[in-house]
Amino acid sequence: MVNKADAVVIGGGVIGNSIAYYLAKYGVDTLLIERKDLAAGTSGACDGFIFLQSKKPGFDLRLALESTRLYENLADELSYDIEYRKCGGMILIETEEQLKAIIELVDGQRKTGLDVKLMRIPQELEPILSGHIIGATHSPLDAQVNPFKVVLGFAQGAKRKGAQILTHMEVQAIRTRTVRGELKVDSVITERGEIKTNTVINAAGVHAPVIAKMVGLDLPIIPRRGQVLVTEPLPDLVTSLLVDAEYITLKLAPDHRGTDGLGLGFTLEQTASGNLLIGSTREFVGYDRRTTYHGIKAITQNVLRIAPALKEVNIIRSFAGLRPYTPDGLPILGKLRGVEGFIVAAGHEGDGIALAPITGKLIAELVVKGKPSISLDEFGLERFK
Amino acid sequence: MDDEVIICRCEEVTKGEILKAIEQGAKTITGIKIRTRAGMGLCQGRTCGRLIARLLAERTAQVLEEIPPATVRPPVRATKMENLVTSHGE
Ligand SMILES: Cc1cc2nc3c(=O)[nH]c(=O)nc-3n(C[C@H](O)[C@H](O)[C@H](O)COP(=O)(O)OP(=O)(O)OC[C@H]3O[C@@H](n4cnc5c(N)ncnc54)[C@H](O)[C@@H]3O)c2cc1C
Ligand code: FES
Repeated sequence: MVNKADAVVIGGGVIGNSIAYYLAKYGVDTLLIERKDLAAGTSGACDGFIFLQSKKPGFDLRLALESTRLYENLADELSYDIEYRKCGGMILIETEEQLKAIIELVDGQRKTGLDVKLMRIPQELEPILSGHIIGATHSPLDAQVNPFKVVLGFAQGAKRKGAQILTHMEVQAIRTRTVRGELKVDSVITERGEIKTNTVINAAGVHAPVIAKMVGLDLPIIPRRGQVLVTEPLPDLVTSLLVDAEYITLKLAPDHRGTDGLGLGFTLEQTASGNLLIGSTREFVGYDRRTTYHGIKAITQNVLRIAPALKEVNIIRSFAGLRPYTPDGLPILGKLRGVEGFIVAAGHEGDGIALAPITGKLIAELVVKGKPSISLDEFGLERFK
Repeated sequence: MDDEVIICRCEEVTKGEILKAIEQGAKTITGIKIRTRAGMGLCQGRTCGRLIARLLAERTAQVLEEIPPATVRPPVRATKMENLVTSHGE
């Protein structure tokens, strides 16, 4: 096994693989370590929305817009079909009260440069929608990918550019040494040996706090479960990504729990293989990745309210993933004070797929140039102090 | 068995594709699923699961009996949505 690398990335999800790819592209000798398999964590149990309309106007949205730009050429760049489709997306409006709140949101988003408009008869574009829906926002920029393929595509691209990826290997400890009174990263300890390095990037998703603890630091990331239903494959039925207004409320007010603690917000997409993915919940239940009868029933009721015509459609399975939640719903990105060479890129909550390319690019720039092309100051851990 | 043989009928995945996934690092049934969609079909891997386990055992030097089955989450059988809302209990 290798015993040294310029940079060690911990975690083989979408974030870790994106970082490994961009680092390798810059010529950095990179090693990625994953304790299970690629996409075995949250990145293999999620939807594939690159949804701009759910982002807070301002900084969050700006980063998402940059990421969308990178996604447009990613399949070509990686020579890998990630099932990217610029399908457009809608926020469905069911009451006058929601309409008012959404108009305000759209205003803010337009000012940040998002192309979004209000539709009065969304049924014209998506005939499966129930007649009681009084309107929807629509943005043609919202897009879709297959998250598994994004992970595997980044991994393959990273390897082609010289990165090494080791799976089924767990990071057990990180050694530091003191240089002129300052703590510095020295090596990463795995079950198969020690790897010397000056730079460690913690991309361990919901497990990022465990990795940070290895150098004595605390991260405020906790798992937030999302349950999703999968239907049988169907002929083309829906083009756009669909969410309801409650979903937006949950996203923009991260501590909002929704009714009965399920945090139910409606999402629906049709994947390239024809299955509908219908979500989802936002629950704080530790590391439990099971789906529940209660959750499945609530999601089904929700979708039949929005698209009653689906009642005859078969659900073939369900799954649940753990969103890496932070108190303000935004990721923690950048160097951590106190240990030189220790970088965090975790806590992307429900946006890790959308933000993966820009996260990888900016973290690689941080490592190579010391300063990323878009400042990460607002994503620092210090904001929680 | 040549590489063209279909192992997962629901998703039309061939033996060749499964072997390629193993080459790319898949060591579990879930690893195969992520890379090829084998096991994601209507039958939820009931038909192809054993065949995939056997290929894994053969190619990755694992003991067949020790390869864990894929995680199965409800509903265990395809269920119409209208029946999911009216059903009671687990
Ligand atoms: C139901 C649901 C729907 C979602 N829908 C969307 C969506 O539509 N669009 C979107 O943008 N985002 C979505 N998300 C969010 C997105 O899935 C996550 O933000 C993203 O996958 C996080 O990626 P990650 O790489 O940080 O974490 P992960 O994918 O969890 O990767 C971390 C990896 O680190 C590994 N690891 C942990 N500890 C160690 C160790 N000690 N040594 C080595 N490896 C270790 C783990 O095994 C894991 O593979 C959704 C999430 C859920 C749950
Ligand atoms: S044969 Fe593979 S899922 Fe049915």
